[in-house]
Parts: sequence; structure tokens; C-alpha cells
Amino acid sequence: MTRLPLLAALLFLATFVLLPLGGLVVATVRGPDGWTLAAWAALADDRNALVQLAASLQLGLAATTVSLLLGGLHAWVTVGRDLPGGGWLGPLGVAPLVVPPIFVAMGFADIAPAAGFWPCALLLGVAHAPFVAVLAARGLRGVDGRAYEAAWLLRGGRRAELWLLRAIAPELLAGCLLAFLFTLADHGVPEFLTVKGKTWHTYAEGLFARWNRRAVGTTFAELQSPIVAALPFVAGLGVLLWAALRLRAQGPDRGVVQPLPRRPLGRWRWPALLAPTTYLAAGIALPVVVLARWALGSAQRLEPMSLSFARQSFHKAIDQGLPDLLHSLWLALGTALLVVLLALPLARAAARRQPLLDLLCALPAALPAILLGIALVRAFHDSPLLRSFGGDFYAGWGFAVCGYAARFLPFAALTLSAQVRRQPVAAEEAGLLVARPPWARAVRLHLPPLLPAAWTAAVVVFVLALRELDLAVVLPAANATAVRRLANAVHFQHEDWSGVIALLLLAIAVLVPLLPSLLAGRRLRSLS
Amino acid sequence: MRPTTSLALLLLAACSADAASSGPTIYVALDQQFSEPVLNAFAAELQIDLRQRHDTEGAKTVGLVSMLLEERDRPRCSVFWNNELAHTVRLAQAGLLEPYDSPSARDVPAPWRDPQHRWTAFAARARILIVNTELLPDRATWPTSYADLVDPRWKGRCGIAKPRTGTTLTHFTALRQVLGEEAFARFLDGLFANDVKLLASNGATMREVRDGKLAWAFTDTDDYHVARQNGFPVACVFPDQHEGGIGTMLIPNSVALIKGGPDPVHARRLVDRILARETEALLAAAAGAQIPLRPGVQGPADPAIRPVGSFRAMAWDVDWTAANLGRCAQEWDRRFGP
Repeated sequence: MTRLPLLAALLFLATFVLLPLGGLVVATVRGPDGWTLAAWAALADDRNALVQLAASLQLGLAATTVSLLLGGLHAWVTVGRDLPGGGWLGPLGVAPLVVPPIFVAMGFADIAPAAGFWPCALLLGVAHAPFVAVLAARGLRGVDGRAYEAAWLLRGGRRAELWLLRAIAPELLAGCLLAFLFTLADHGVPEFLTVKGKTWHTYAEGLFARWNRRAVGTTFAELQSPIVAALPFVAGLGVLLWAALRLRAQGPDRGVVQPLPRRPLGRWRWPALLAPTTYLAAGIALPVVVLARWALGSAQRLEPMSLSFARQSFHKAIDQGLPDLLHSLWLALGTALLVVLLALPLARAAARRQPLLDLLCALPAALPAILLGIALVRAFHDSPLLRSFGGDFYAGWGFAVCGYAARFLPFAALTLSAQVRRQPVAAEEAGLLVARPPWARAVRLHLPPLLPAAWTAAVVVFVLALRELDLAVVLPAANATAVRRLANAVHFQHEDWSGVIALLLLAIAVLVPLLPSLLAGRRLRSLS
Repeated sequence: MRPTTSLALLLLAACSADAASSGPTIYVALDQQFSEPVLNAFAAELQIDLRQRHDTEGAKTVGLVSMLLEERDRPRCSVFWNNELAHTVRLAQAGLLEPYDSPSARDVPAPWRDPQHRWTAFAARARILIVNTELLPDRATWPTSYADLVDPRWKGRCGIAKPRTGTTLTHFTALRQVLGEEAFARFLDGLFANDVKLLASNGATMREVRDGKLAWAFTDTDDYHVARQNGFPVACVFPDQHEGGIGTMLIPNSVALIKGGPDPVHARRLVDRILARETEALLAAAAGAQIPLRPGVQGPADPAIRPVGSFRAMAWDVDWTAANLGRCAQEWDRRFGP
């Protein structure tokens, strides 16, 4: 009985991650006439793939530099500094995570040409800066203030700051690696910019294009090319993820340290405000303002912007996009619930018995969502097992929830396993001496200390599921989401009601996680 | 059976789309905001539970066609509403379509109906030139032909979508047959020599012209019409109307039944409704401003979008185009890049 939740979670991982991926790998070497390496040989001659890979790597480096500057500086000046308003600017570091990268792209593309390399790098850097901001802030909160003060007294202020930078280097690097990883794997934003006139392409764009166009492929190698091209890429992303996790794990445990002393910024106190305001303006304010202007009618030239136009936009949005919005909401809620249920037993097992489970759980994070979607479609669209069951699980809401859960499981599993490791083993051992059934021990002893972390994980997964575009494009059951609808509608100059839908989506992303706190009247705490 | 197993099966059932009780499913390549309201109205009128699946803009038609091919052993689609014709004919050639002689299709002109009743075309878009009237205020200076793309007068000032998906792929494939291999190869070389801006989609070319980055470009009438409706300074030219010209290409929507798809009875009724004359009139009046193929159906209100019969239409071989679409797409992938 006690092993059942863990077995169910492992079965889920095997069914929705390992088997689909394994199927993809095998298909690349199993041609119509038997085993063959023809598809792999064709990749070597594919100049486009190399050009796209180079473009993606350059874009990843440039965007990560932007993320480091924005996110890193935000954390540096808001944690343990006398920055005016630092007390509330600091926790806001996680807030841009709520804004889907495609909204950031819409914001940037509306005010300036965004088809070039640097605008693309800038906006992707802004979109992924929260990874750096959150992990850098975590690192700073984990540094022992007494050690910092000792460094200050012995070596002076400048050297102490350098020491501090070295102390948080693992967390900072982990944040940068995550930003790099997400930039490389992102398909939605580069594709949106292509529609806006971008004429160069990233590797993830290439994968999706190959997949979509398999209908015009004529040979085995052409049909397998999207998968063959993706696998070396995935291996590279996996190494990056492994490195990021190792670095993150090296971060100090903040539970046993004294917080950093309040460090004076001196004459930089007011100018330093520029860092968090730029970060938040680019990550939240700009997209929101642009979307609001769209709703008011900025994207058309027939009449000036007005509230009456906004009312029309709202009515159109309700008429056109409400079902998609509701579908997104239910999908995100279902995903958050399922992910937490799966992550709890996996996290306990990883923290207490099988550390390698952490890596297994993290695997989906190394997969571009496009590839995970392709693997799921290939594995399930004609599954004899599901067919024999009668209903069409593949086409239903449940399949979309499972696909999303597979993608976002790493975020919850890693958060929870870190939390389990912080809990004293002695209490659990003492619990074994009490004559209570295992489920009672789980509910009374193991679960309560994990609830805050489980709530944080659920919120993060909910927000990520709400903003997910890549998987929504590939999985038929997830097609009818608001973000996908928006990405489509903007192509056809329907910015007016798209702006309203986007703002409603953001409101849901903010309000639903805050609802329990607002209803319970408890003080809000930073998710970071 | 153990209670936990029963619970798991119950959950699986709850999360599944129940194939037995649901109505037909339609895959739609026509832009969602044009097709969805029409289909919702049809579903209500026919009292059917209609499931719709719309293509992404980035995927164009090819995404749904790929999915139909992928699902050929277990079709989930009952009706395919394609926003162009060649890929539908390709599916017919691959044996995926179910013949159906819809009574609504009887007055569709013969060239736009499959003799074996596997598909029927309706409501077309024209491949036109969209011109920025602020950059080119004098009508006499406007381009008039596909050949203007390779005219040095327009070097670096005009654009077209890459012929990888959608109507541009169909257009280029048909053009290859109409011009002949040698002339078409010269045309392709000319595109690169003349620094023609090659973009990802017709929407992108329209935006470049609308925003004044290009003087003119090839696009479809629906893209032109939405830009015009939003107040942008654009005009529409039906190309190659001169004596001896190849004419303007018309690319109609097409509808077909999928062999073995769910709920074929209601699917047939849906096809009848889609092919009704009123649907062509609805699509003509909508923002997409589609051109009716049948005489006597009210066309778009914008006089720049001309009715069938009032302009020289390009004669293209649908079967040849469909049969060569894959070969051409592969070749142009290498030539034009992703």
C-alpha cells in the first residue's frame, strides 16, 4: 500500500516520458526494410541543421547575458541592501515568471522592430531573467551574514562583495544555465518573430518545421529527420540540465545561517533603483501596457484608441476566446494537482532512498516541449492499449493534463525533494515506532512539513501550464488553449480582442495562486 | 478487480473523449476566426456535437495534412476543410478520402469538383499583389505581374513568402508547370538575384507592406482585406491580366470526407452545409473576403477583390500540382532554407 503512490508515479514517468522517448529513438534506426542508419547519415549532410544550431547557441549566450544582467542585478540590489522600496521590490523578482514569453515578445515587437538577432536575444533574456533573479536571491539569502561581516572586516568592502559573488556563484550559474536551456528549447517566441518578419531560424523552430512538414517528406530519412535532428540536441540540453542541478544543489541551506547584514549602497542608493525598475518594466509593465493598448485599439488605424473600443474588444474576446480561456484554466488546475500528487512520492524516494530519481524526474526539463509533444503523439495517437479501452483518451482533457504533467514534473519534484532533505530523518524514524498504518504516518507525519513547498510547486506548475505554448501547439488535446489562440490571432491582426484575452490570462495567473491567501487573510510570502 | 485498479480505469474513462457519443470532428485549415463562428452556427443548426481542430498559423495546411496521414490507420477526423486545394487532392491520391456526391455541390463549376466526388472546392482566395499606397501613390507605377518580382526596378523592395507551406507552396508548384521547368528555374534564380525579401508567411509579407518596409509583395486576398479593413494604406492588384498573361491564380477552399472517420452520417450533413451557396456568401462577407466560385453568389463588398469571370484566371493542373507538391517542397526546402 505504501509503495503504491511511488509505483504509480514511476509508472507515469515510464508511460509519459521514457517509453515515448524510447519509441522515438528506435524509430530513427528502424526503416521500412529493417535496421538502418540512413536517417542519421542524412543529418550529417544537413547544412540547415548546423546553421540553426549555431544560431540557437549564439542566441542562448546573448539572451543569458541579458538574463544575468537583469535578474542578477535585481537580486544583488534588493537582497540585504538599503535600496528604497527593496522590501517589496525583492519578492517581485519572481513576478515576471507569470508573463508568458510570447507576451514579452508581443510587447517588444509592438514598439520596435524585433526581427533582428539582438532584439530577439533581448526579449528572450527578459523573459527568462526570473530564473536568474530567483536563484541569485536564494543564493544571497543562503549566505551566512557572519561570514560576510568577517570578510568585510578583514578585507574591506570591495573584497567582501567579491567574496559574496563567489559564494553565490553556484546558484547564479544554475540560474544562467536554466535561462540558457529555456532559450535554446523555446519555439514559440522565435516562431512569433518569424511571422513578424524574422528571416533567420533557431534549432527549435527547425524541429517544429520538420515535424509539421513530414507530410511532404518522401523518404525514410526525410520522415525521421525531425527526431534524428533533435536527439543530439536533447543530449546537449541534458548535460546542461545536469550541470544546473549540480550547481543548484551546491547552494547553501538557508535554514542554518544568519541573514546578510543590511549593506549600504551609498551614493548609488537611488541610481540602483534603475536595476529592479528596468527588470520589472521590461518583464511585466511593457507587455501589460502594450496588451492594454491593443485592447484600446492601438493596432488599427480606423479610429483613435478609446474606452468604447476597449468595450468592443472585450465583447469580442468573450465571444471568441472564452472557451479557450476556460480550457486553459482547467488544464492548468488539473496539471498542478496531478504534478503535486506525482511529485510527493517521487521526491520522498529521491531524498531518502534513490538520489538518482532526481535526475530521472528532471529529464523532461531537458526536452524541448516540441519534442516531448511529438513523442507523446507518436506513442499514443494509435495506441492499441487505449483503443481497446473504448474511449478516446488521446483526444481528451486527461491526455493533455498528463502531457503537461510530464513536462512540468521536474519543477515540483525537485522543489519537494529539496524540502524533504531539509526535514530531520529522526522524526520519521520515531514515527516508525508508533503502531499506526503507513497511510496514517504519511498523512500525519510526512505530509504536513511538505505542504508549503507543495503549494509553491503547485503554483509554479499552474502558472507554467497556463503560459505553455509549445506543447499546446503539438498535442491535439491541448490545442484549444488561450495562449495558442492568441499566437494565432495576432498573426491575423486581431490584436484588439487578443489583448483582452491576454490580460485575462495574466489576471488568472496572478489571482488563482493568491486566492487562498486573500481568502484566509494571511500575509503573502515570496514564492522565491 | 482491485479497488485501486477500478478507480484508475474510472479516472481514465472520465478523462477520455467519449468516441461513441460524440459527433463528427472537423479539421480546419481556414483561419480560425473566420471558420469557427461559421462552424458553430452550422453545428447549432444541424444539432450536432461538432468538434473542431484548427491549424496553427505557423503550420499552415501542412500541419493538419501531416496529422491526417499520421492518423490514417485510426482516423479521428470526419471532415477536412482545407483552405487550399492541392493538399486535399494529395490526400485523395493517397486514398484517404471517402467519395461523397454532395447535393449542395451540384452547381459548383466542374473544374472545381473531383469527378470521383472525393473533394469539392468552394470560396477561393486569389494570389494578388499587395501595394503600399503611401510608398507608391501613382497607380501607373504599380507592379502588374509575377515577373515584376525579378525586375531590377524593384530590387530589394518587394517580397514573397517562402514556398514551403500554404498557398505559396501551391502557387509555386502550379507556376512551375505553367511556366515550364526552364522558365521557372530562371524565375527562381531571379528572386535571389533581385534581393526579393523571402518571408515566413503571407501574413508576414502583408505586414512588411502594410508597415511600409516593402513597396509591394505577393499575398492572398484575405490578408490584403484585413489590412485594408484596419485602415492601412494598401491596395490590391490582380496580376498578369495583360494580353497573353498567365492570369491570377485562384486557390479555393476544399472540403472532403475522411475515409473511416467518426460519425459519417452527420459528417455528410456537415459537408452539405459547408458546400451550400449561403456559405460562400457568408465567407465573402466575412473579414476573409473569399471569392465565391459559383455565379450568382454575392461576392466581397470591397470592389478591389474581383468576382470570378471579371478577370483572367490562371489555368493550373490540380492533379499535377498535387502529385508534385512533395517533390517541390523538398527541393525548395534546400533552396530557400527553413
